[in-house]
Amino acid sequence: MLELIAHNLAPIMFISVMGMLLLGYPVALTLAAGGLFFFVIGVALSEISPSEINLFWPLLRAQPERVFGIMSNDTLLAIPFFTFMGLILERSGMAEDLLDTIGQLFGPIRGGLAYAVILVGALLAATTGVVAASVIAMGLISLPIMQRYGYDTSVATGTIAASGTLAQIVPPSLVLIVMADQLGVSVGDMYKGALLPALIITGGYCSYIFVLSFLRPKAVPALPIEDRTLGNGIWSLVVVMVLAVAVYVVSGRTLYADMLPTNRLVAAATTAVVLAYLVAVANRVFGLSVLSKLAEQVVIVLIPPLALIFLVLGTIFLGIATPTEGGAMGAVGALILAIAKRRLDFATLRGAVESTAMLSTFVMFILIGARVFGLTFYGVNGNVWLEELLLGLPGGEYGFLIVVTVVVFILGCFLDFFEIAFILVPLLAPVAQTLGIDLVWFGVILGINLQTSFLTPPFGFSLFYLRSVVPTQDWTDEVTGRRMPAIRTPKIYRGVLPYIALQFAMILLVIGVPSLVTHYQDTPRRPVVPASAPATPSGTQSGGQSGGNSLGLPPLNFGGPGQSGGQSSGGATGGSSQPSMGLPPLDLNGTGGGSGNGAPAQPSMGLPPLDFGGGAPAPAPAPAPETAPETGPSGGIDLSQPPSFN
Amino acid sequence: MRALLALSRGIDAVTRVIGQAAAWLILVAVLVSAGNAVIRKAFNMSSNSWLELQWYLFGAVFMLCAAWALQRNAHVRIDVITAHLRARTRAWIDLICHLLFLAPFVLLMTWLSWPFFMRSLASGESSSNAGGLILWPAKGLVLLGFIVLIAQTISEIIKRIAHLTGDLPMPAADLGETGGHSTAADGEIAHNA
Repeated sequence: MLELIAHNLAPIMFISVMGMLLLGYPVALTLAAGGLFFFVIGVALSEISPSEINLFWPLLRAQPERVFGIMSNDTLLAIPFFTFMGLILERSGMAEDLLDTIGQLFGPIRGGLAYAVILVGALLAATTGVVAASVIAMGLISLPIMQRYGYDTSVATGTIAASGTLAQIVPPSLVLIVMADQLGVSVGDMYKGALLPALIITGGYCSYIFVLSFLRPKAVPALPIEDRTLGNGIWSLVVVMVLAVAVYVVSGRTLYADMLPTNRLVAAATTAVVLAYLVAVANRVFGLSVLSKLAEQVVIVLIPPLALIFLVLGTIFLGIATPTEGGAMGAVGALILAIAKRRLDFATLRGAVESTAMLSTFVMFILIGARVFGLTFYGVNGNVWLEELLLGLPGGEYGFLIVVTVVVFILGCFLDFFEIAFILVPLLAPVAQTLGIDLVWFGVILGINLQTSFLTPPFGFSLFYLRSVVPTQDWTDEVTGRRMPAIRTPKIYRGVLPYIALQFAMILLVIGVPSLVTHYQDTPRRPVVPASAPATPSGTQSGGQSGGNSLGLPPLNFGGPGQSGGQSSGGATGGSSQPSMGLPPLDLNGTGGGSGNGAPAQPSMGLPPLDFGGGAPAPAPAPAPETAPETGPSGGIDLSQPPSFN
Repeated sequence: MRALLALSRGIDAVTRVIGQAAAWLILVAVLVSAGNAVIRKAFNMSSNSWLELQWYLFGAVFMLCAAWALQRNAHVRIDVITAHLRARTRAWIDLICHLLFLAPFVLLMTWLSWPFFMRSLASGESSSNAGGLILWPAKGLVLLGFIVLIAQTISEIIKRIAHLTGDLPMPAADLGETGGHSTAADGEIAHNA
């Protein structure tokens, strides 16, 4: 009996800890406790099955260092920054302004309000990245209007719920940050890879409404003429846009001609946008009638969020800022915007910092719990067990992707994406790599998958949020004086079905056409200079990044595959060259290489108390150079990518 | 019981004050990080100590807010099943898990973090980055965070027992479908909004 348990400790541990999670006790603490519990069992049974269980008491002393490693991870800093930015923007009333204005802009055409919801959903996604905020704002503002003008309830609710989930896949989403961290790729690459699929999904939603406006025109009527409060004047807007583009081109060729290309782009675009904005503001303040009311309103409302999107995503994509810096700049931008709109007071600010602190705390503690779990799970060869299980699947790469898609989809109905990302993804990443799957591509597939899980009844979060704000009783519309029906849950469920189908089509499309994602590789990359960095005994190529993490230990990292060479080359050679130490995989340093912004190298004494003799860690590899952050978002990708691409 | 409840209230007040104070470090981190980015771009300068300060601050936030998050029940739970149980049953589950899961974890981590911190302090260890910060305060945060968590664990255990004995009213069903579960999804913490 003991023998049987000892030899199958990995599956037993995995299944029992997953079962413990269902107790409804906080996930982070359950994972940690499960990890410690099985650590004790593992040590007790290690005599019976020494080849499979590599656990011994002193190993526990690595735990504080592992927590510290999570702390000193620069990539994860982007989580509080983007959350804070989203919360501040939500309070600044941006969603309301956008919905009102874009609704008026598209209102006159059939399905216009639905397009407005989708586009605003995408815009909010690109700025706030918070599903709940988008869904609640749209449910409160757009839904009553859509109901008033005779939209089909299912179509209206489905569109709102689906558009809200765009926040999960449109950069800068938290899902993509966490995924990049856990897969050990750079966040910038993840953003680049996810951008095109995200745009296609948004386009897909719009085409669905377009088709619907022909098949069932009554379901998506246009705004009646008397409700087009901003009047007509679309041409005026077109003229403004053409002029802005002209300013951009001309100023780029003349004023800024001698700048570097990226700087020129930024300067010219800023000039054009600021000019358009000033014209619109002047038009309003001085009551000029240069612009139509519609054009004025659209320019004034749209430019601040677009400028923010540029400030954050543009600078990341152009390689000017790392995602962490982009998040911080975006947060400052959001603060300035909120102050300008006079919507920022002490209570708001305090609410935002406290909410951000709560969210970051529970996310980071899930990661801590997952690390504690991981130390034991890797010690009982759990990764080997899972890898063999998954590599044994028929169909190779595609078989693996499809099984993973199905599994993650099902789990996504019950678990939050943070749990999936922190527990499952680090286990899947090495398998994906063995199969030669590009990790960014893999991450984007998982991201779309998790986005879909937000939509699926009965546990989709987006549906929860929407249900929390829809009218549950019949109500009287103040404008028309008509009685409006309550919205029942089955209506919402029926409304999201077409969108779920679209999501599935999108997952298949991304699996079938990897180049939708892998085009991120086309960006020029700095060559790898393996010889220049001090090599640790494990053969790790610490390419001047955060090289300090391998410590001459076998291939590492639960929680963050692929810092520096630990994954691509060091991982492969390190494991075979140093088997004698018999240490389970460790990741002492978080995922410094992930964002390429040079997480400070860990002191090499990651495991000082361990007195295994021979293979004592090598001296600390090179400290991250002073200029490490200069490498920008593309800095880390050289090393952390799998050696073979499809 | 009355004395215990007073102790629990005292602990709650302390962890709340620590958490609320630490939360503001988010704002400081935002400003420091944005400042770093601008200075780096504008003057082509960068300082490792300012870069390290970013994660020092964030680390302080989540280590010091952990106990407060526990108090506010902000740690995510998978309540697919337990949301359907009676409040009393859930209180029992919480009590048992506090004793069997949480208490060993925080005690062990505190015990392990002590030598970890002391070694760093004794050696005056500083970051291996040129011009980096000293490391022991950061390591001290790990220790401090878990010590505060121990205190909060004691308070939570007292409160659960009081719920079960009737000394405190049962908490409202805050684990419903829009409670802890949905908080998980993203930054929206409803009762704080």
